[in-house]
Amino acid sequence: MLVKEMMRRPVTVVSAEATIGEAYQLLQDRGFRHLPVVDRGRLVGVLTDRDLRLATSSLCQHPRPAGDPVSAVMSSPPLTADPLDPVEDAARIMREHKIGCLPVVDGMELVGILTGMDLLDALMILTGVTKPSSRLEVALADRPGELARLTAFLAERHVNIHSILTYPSPEAVRTVLRVDSNQIRPLADELRQAEFEVLWPIQKPWQH
Amino acid sequence: MAALIYRPEYAGYDFGPEHPFTPARLAMLLDLIHTLGHATSPIAAPPATREEILTIHDEAYVAMVEALDHGGSRPEAEQFGLGTPDNPIFPGMDLAARWLVGGTLHGARLLMEGAETRVLQLGGGLHHAQKNRAAGFCMYNDLAVAIRAMVRHGWRVAYLDIDLHHGDGVQSLFYDSDQVLTISLHETGHYLYPGTGHIQELGAGTARGLSVNIPLEPFTESESYLEAFDAVVPRALEWFSPHVLVVQAGADAHFADPLGDLALTTQAFQALYGRILDLAADHTQGRALFTLGGGYEAQVVARVWTILYLTLMDLPIPERLPDAWLDRWRDLLGPEVGRTLHDPVPAYPELPGREERNRRNGDVVARLVDSLFRYWM
Repeated sequence: MLVKEMMRRPVTVVSAEATIGEAYQLLQDRGFRHLPVVDRGRLVGVLTDRDLRLATSSLCQHPRPAGDPVSAVMSSPPLTADPLDPVEDAARIMREHKIGCLPVVDGMELVGILTGMDLLDALMILTGVTKPSSRLEVALADRPGELARLTAFLAERHVNIHSILTYPSPEAVRTVLRVDSNQIRPLADELRQAEFEVLWPIQKPWQH
Repeated sequence: MAALIYRPEYAGYDFGPEHPFTPARLAMLLDLIHTLGHATSPIAAPPATREEILTIHDEAYVAMVEALDHGGSRPEAEQFGLGTPDNPIFPGMDLAARWLVGGTLHGARLLMEGAETRVLQLGGGLHHAQKNRAAGFCMYNDLAVAIRAMVRHGWRVAYLDIDLHHGDGVQSLFYDSDQVLTISLHETGHYLYPGTGHIQELGAGTARGLSVNIPLEPFTESESYLEAFDAVVPRALEWFSPHVLVVQAGADAHFADPLGDLALTTQAFQALYGRILDLAADHTQGRALFTLGGGYEAQVVARVWTILYLTLMDLPIPERLPDAWLDRWRDLLGPEVGRTLHDPVPAYPELPGREERNRRNGDVVARLVDSLFRYWM
């Protein structure tokens, strides 16, 4: 999944000479938390609602008046993403720097913006929860071909997989699937018969 | 006394011998009711028309069902949820599904005309069907079509869903309607199909607070289930003051159901039906429309829904299952069936972790009630 698939566009921007009062109004009216700041068409910073609130708070020693320029309080220089970056790379940059968005730049052109909310959308799509589905969890041995054996098993039964995630645990490779089926209990029984270790659904205590 | 709606044509809604949603469940149920000495004289409702289906479903989706019905396969079918292991394509499926919708809709009509106050539709309950796709064995949403008709009649409708699975189709179709309260009790969607029905799904716009979800831990037992029901449902109905109650009475929350993990007994179902009738008496002048729903263990659904039938008809509930019925259905019933209508006590070996499960259910209910109160005030 690439940044260009999840980013928002077109982007609403604010000019570096705009006043923080104007920027505040824009954030309020549009329900945004992040505004890329441009100077003569070039991206020069990002203004967040937090930047604004901190700079103007009555708790500050010298709260900034509404007439000050945006350039005085914005975060600069901005970290950016490329539309062709994988979303997980964008996520890592945002996490490492504890920031809420990345303007997306193609060459010199600002083409979109990726926020933490867009990453949550990505997580939902990647985990398959946006469609009616059931969750199946299987522990696979850590060796080539195990995942293929599992997916082939599902393919034979014409079960469509919405998403598949694997992650290492000390004992095995935990594999979580979201499948387009209301019938995962019978499916889990068949998987057990084929000697897969199914972590969910677990067997009922009274099941024979 | 309830009016009974049923047609032999309901058996046509059949996804084939390997599929759990089999019409044999209905045949077995009716035979048990008859063998217990109760002659039924069901009302024969007409099938829903195409126009009636279109009060809920998209034209493109209905056109796809009709096209597949006439034979041949289409690559786009799966985009509409059709031709999957859950919703296989079969000849005659459009009309088969319209018979079921017609029955539920007819039940709504009888209530609106004032001809009946209590109706049992022995079929339908296809709560997963969405505006533009089939889902979870459900092609057309009979419940939603009936609810829509009652809303157009000027009624506020309370929908109560006790199926094992979240009533996602009905919920999403009325998510922003302030004329419809939807309440669903179900096994948590963290694992189970369809994956929704969390306490945070509260409705949208003016209907905020009108979508109520009670997700329960896997292996929740009768006592904890009924506690959750009592903590939420009476208050919700009291507050909403509906004209009518529509009940999806799926039986798959039973402990022996092969698709789920809730652990209700027949005794719990009987207690639930009693509570629901009391609530209808208190809040809707008794007006209630019941449909069937999920339930995939033959020997269970016949017993549970017979108890539903007897309760709604104000008939006594016997203990013995008739030998003749047991003999006739031996092959389908399997070795697990006993000789009584109710489950034995105890019905299953003790499940470890009960205290933890009950605590978690209690927490979920407390958080739900907490967030609902601010909209109900």
